[in-house]
Amino acid sequence: MQDTGVHLRDVTKSFGAVDVIRGVDMDIPRGQFAVFVGPSGCGKSTLLRMIAGLEDTSDGQIAIGARDVTHEDPADRGVAMVFQSYALYPHLSVFENMAFSLRLAKRPRVEVDEKVRRAAGILKLSDHLDKKPAQLSGGQRQRVAIGRAIVRAPDVFLFDEPLSNLDAELRVQMRLELARLHKQLGATMIYVTHDQVEAMTLADTIFVLQGGHVQQHGAPLDLYDDPSNRFVAGFIGSPSMNFFEATVAGHTKDGITAQLAGQPDQSFDIPLRHRPEQGTVLVLGMRPEHLMVTAAGGMRVTVDVAEELGGVSYQHGTLEGGEAVIFQQTGARHGMHGTVQTVTPELARIFVFDKSGDRVR
Amino acid sequence: MSKANRRRRELRAAGLLIAPFLLVFTVFFLYPTYKVIALSFTDAPLIGEGTWIGLANYVKLFNDRLFYTSLWNNFYFVLLTVVPTTVIALLIALAVSKLKGRMQALVLTLFFLPYVLPVSVVTMIWTWMLDFQFGILQPLIAAVTGKPVPVFKNPYWVMPMIAVVTIWWTNGFNVLLLIAGLRNIPQDLYEAAALDGATSWQRFWRITWPLLWPITALVLTLQLILQLKLFDQVYLLSNGGPFNQSYVVLMQMYREAFQLNNGGYASAIAMVLFGIIVIVSVLQFQLLRIGARK
Ligand SMILES: Nc1ncnc2c1ncn2[C@@H]1O[C@H](COP(=O)(O)OP(=O)(O)OP(=O)(O)O)[C@@H](O)[C@H]1O
Ligand SMILES: [Mg+2]
Repeated sequence: MQDTGVHLRDVTKSFGAVDVIRGVDMDIPRGQFAVFVGPSGCGKSTLLRMIAGLEDTSDGQIAIGARDVTHEDPADRGVAMVFQSYALYPHLSVFENMAFSLRLAKRPRVEVDEKVRRAAGILKLSDHLDKKPAQLSGGQRQRVAIGRAIVRAPDVFLFDEPLSNLDAELRVQMRLELARLHKQLGATMIYVTHDQVEAMTLADTIFVLQGGHVQQHGAPLDLYDDPSNRFVAGFIGSPSMNFFEATVAGHTKDGITAQLAGQPDQSFDIPLRHRPEQGTVLVLGMRPEHLMVTAAGGMRVTVDVAEELGGVSYQHGTLEGGEAVIFQQTGARHGMHGTVQTVTPELARIFVFDKSGDRVR
Repeated sequence: MSKANRRRRELRAAGLLIAPFLLVFTVFFLYPTYKVIALSFTDAPLIGEGTWIGLANYVKLFNDRLFYTSLWNNFYFVLLTVVPTTVIALLIALAVSKLKGRMQALVLTLFFLPYVLPVSVVTMIWTWMLDFQFGILQPLIAAVTGKPVPVFKNPYWVMPMIAVVTIWWTNGFNVLLLIAGLRNIPQDLYEAAALDGATSWQRFWRITWPLLWPITALVLTLQLILQLKLFDQVYLLSNGGPFNQSYVVLMQMYREAFQLNNGGYASAIAMVLFGIIVIVSVLQFQLLRIGARK
């Protein structure tokens, strides 16, 4: 069943006494674009480096294609990695940087020349082949690093935050180029990032990592629409979801009535299949984009900071109970700073979590 | 405040700041240098005035057989020390850089320790260790050559042995420079190379060596200058003997100046050695730079 792609089985990693990866299973089919996201220090880079073979695997099994590569040398795994720092050889020209692996393998001159020039063509680097890395711009360096990977024609490309050193505009551009490249090459790619937008736009599958485990994985919109726990709900989506404490006030025909702890005059009828008992304390999650300003009654928010981005604005404030709220406004541009606004959520898009953070559906 | 005014104030501050250095430099370096140059054209004794004799000292020096012997010994010593010490330091640096944390600091300290010792202590240690009758290294020599050797009294052994002592003494500093150079090479280059399929041998020759080259060239040049100025070890270990086999240029200068009281002639020797060091080291540094660019 594991003939292609990348497969991890119960993989763990500890640095001395510290367990960083605590049992990760994943299957990335051939040709997929997988993205690892998670808070800083959760082990994304470590997991990627384990797949590359740059870190030993403490336990478990890593397979690429049909081969168990858990204990193989990095060079024998058929993976290429693009580093955040680019890791270009500073003493070699762009051409030699890209040709490095072929030279080591003692490939014939004609083949080296052809492969490097083809990669340079794809990445629009043909005019820069004689330059040294120090003479290139950040984006060009990044492309050389990608070119070095392409030349090796690996089964799997690994990227560790490859765009994080670039400015915003270049990032957008390189993001598109990466998406295009993935279509063109059709290779499996695994990509680590902090950037929500990169994750959402590039990924076929997102793996949300935290505490050494995969919290959830799935297509970007599935994670957005249907997070399986409070952590994923808070992590996917920007700005992140609002969470409010509430208690079950009663049951309805197809759900519950939840009463806000911070503003007891507000309660919502939420459709739910599993109805917790009356009096149970829950956490309600509402995305900023699902909170509407209304003239009628609703949650009263005292706005203290407004982030105006032109098309949309994000209003930061607090509920009467002191809980922080962010809601989104589109189009309207009235200064809400310092005012009290009334907002209501879309009832169908309220997420319910129990006290331990698991989703209640 | 006007521009001219500000400029004047800046100049005053600048003058004030460099004055102490300039004073010391002039009194203790520039003036003596001038004196040596001037002296080398006279027949002056060590103390007192002499008369101008033009290039006579230089003519005499270039006809002096002993000078050529000394010069040859200097170059022989350079051959014995400069490249070997650099290679050894590089090997040690590579090994030490594999160690972690406190262990690395400890080992580095051990290698650096001899450098801290004054030359008299160094030569004392080695005189004892190589003592013909009681030296603890004699059994080793006997094992290799069949019999003990009074190394500092043997014309074939004397220079190589002084070279060994010198390398042992000064190597720690080179190790330190090279370690610093190695630490400057980013780790991810090695990781990228490992992914590209480089063996550790290839990683050394294709990454470490070219990226460390500026430091290696610096070490080679510093060593060349240092070893051409060889004097103390020879003076203390063999005093130029046996049969002038360890007689070096500075030794000759020392004898002429302080034992034979020929200040003028000694100055000429010093000038020639100075010229040689400048020419050779500039030449070497340029060669190394060209080598790096290729
Ligand atoms: N060589 C190491 N020795 C000990 N601990 C390490 C080592 N490398 C990483 N760690 C620890 O492992 C954890 C995960 O590190 P990792 O670099 O994988 O995080 P990350 O998810 O990539 O974070 P970021 O998003 O900030 O890059 C961190 O807590 C880090 O302190
Ligand atoms: Mg990381």
